[in-house]
Amino acid sequence: MQNVLYIPVQLAVMLLLAPLVNGIIKKIKAVSQKRKGPPVLQLYYDFYKLMKKGTVVSETSSWIFRAAPYIYFTAILTAALFVPVTTVLAPFSVTGDMILAVYLLALARFFMALAGLDTGSTFGGMGSSREMMISALLEPSLLVSLFIVGLIAGSTSLYEIMKFSVLSGITILQPVYFLIFLALWIVLIAETARIPVDDPSTHLELTMVHEAMLLEYSGRQLVLMELGAALKQLIFITLLANVFIPTDIFVQGRGFLVTVILSLGFYFVKVVGIACVTAVIEINTVKLRLFSVPNLAALSFAFAFLGFVQYFVIGR
Amino acid sequence: MNHYLELLSILILLSSFILAAAKRIISYIWIFRLQSFLLVIMAGYLGAVNFRKEGDIDILIICMVILVVKVIYIPRLLENTFAKVAYKVEKDFFLNIPISVLICCGLVMLSYFSIFPIDDLREGVMKTYLVNSISVILIGLFFMISRKKAIGQIIGFLVIENGLFIAALLSAHSMPILVDLGIFVDVLAGVMIMGVLVFRINENFESININKLRNLRG
Repeated sequence: MQNVLYIPVQLAVMLLLAPLVNGIIKKIKAVSQKRKGPPVLQLYYDFYKLMKKGTVVSETSSWIFRAAPYIYFTAILTAALFVPVTTVLAPFSVTGDMILAVYLLALARFFMALAGLDTGSTFGGMGSSREMMISALLEPSLLVSLFIVGLIAGSTSLYEIMKFSVLSGITILQPVYFLIFLALWIVLIAETARIPVDDPSTHLELTMVHEAMLLEYSGRQLVLMELGAALKQLIFITLLANVFIPTDIFVQGRGFLVTVILSLGFYFVKVVGIACVTAVIEINTVKLRLFSVPNLAALSFAFAFLGFVQYFVIGR
Repeated sequence: MNHYLELLSILILLSSFILAAAKRIISYIWIFRLQSFLLVIMAGYLGAVNFRKEGDIDILIICMVILVVKVIYIPRLLENTFAKVAYKVEKDFFLNIPISVLICCGLVMLSYFSIFPIDDLREGVMKTYLVNSISVILIGLFFMISRKKAIGQIIGFLVIENGLFIAALLSAHSMPILVDLGIFVDVLAGVMIMGVLVFRINENFESININKLRNLRG
């Protein structure tokens, strides 16, 4: 019963919630600038409209350009299945853990960068090379953080890690988890093209990274790329929400269906909260120079490393 | 109880990492202010616990003194000094930031390896406290030698003092109040004198870059 329900619930929640997060962040930014801003559901309308439109593909591009959106989207969607939105439902028993999830994201990024290079536009190539640089800088801190969380829980499966968190209270108040939380937050900001690293609201600017690779896409393929990016953001937010601020302990001991719904409700609140904080950070900072991104990455790695020292060496 | 103290000591260590990654003098001053504020919270917490248990208010007095001296007075003094000296945007550090952050990680390891073999410490958590506070001292020292400008070096000195204070506070529930107050007066006088010196360096060399002090040497 639980295993059967897991996949539909997971897919439905992830796919429906992902564009909303972007909408909320945009709305908060607009309000802070005394604008009205687009409606919170704008991205859904955009997707609906784009789905009806045809696609234009450059003549010089190869099959990679056409295949990339599908690979990108499927890889990210598969990775999303490994990051449970609620610990109440047990995931399906296919082998796979956080390392697979991380490298599925890396596969998606690889094809996105290839697609950026494929059309031979100058913007695309620039965006791809920058994206690869940023991802290479952040991968160490992402993996070190996940490994430490895994070591504490004694498993590399994200579901097990989240279950362990539920049992040990509000984990963010423990020093090790707090450090890892900060490290992963920096990774979240950099991976999802948020402001100190990349500006999501710019279009056609020399500083853009993520947008530069999508410039040539249109219609249905653009929907896949955009939805994939939103999903990736939600994956990271889910990770932060469920590992570091576990709330499933509050909903235990009720009927099955009530538990699931309550748990999803708490999850929704956490996601909206994290989106709000991200928006506030975005309002208050400016975009870094590209060559200052290593500083941020070094700080993120240092946080993860300190977590490692706290956990391992000093013992906890 | 130990949970929160540990978290606070980690936060203080984190603020010194952020200091090592900072680039501008204004942000040094702000981070120092933040670190001192965390120190105030820590001292206030320990002071309240102590007051309830034994009824002495020494740590609370010291907490107030830190609030006035380190959170309000010294940062403002430094900001004023900084506003008066000519500000040229130039590179302030010898090593680039990723490398200095990694060196700070190395310093944490160093302090761990020097603290861990001590067997007589009361409990495991004491080792955490000592490792964190000694790391803060070492990072302050490293910050002091890695910056070229005089204000950066003053901040490094103050961070070392913060680290010493945390070490005393966490391992022995603070030093006798007279010693603490004496140290604060020392620091205050030191910072004021250094502020004046920064001013003089700026007047004579039209920059607060201390490399220029070697101009006349062969």
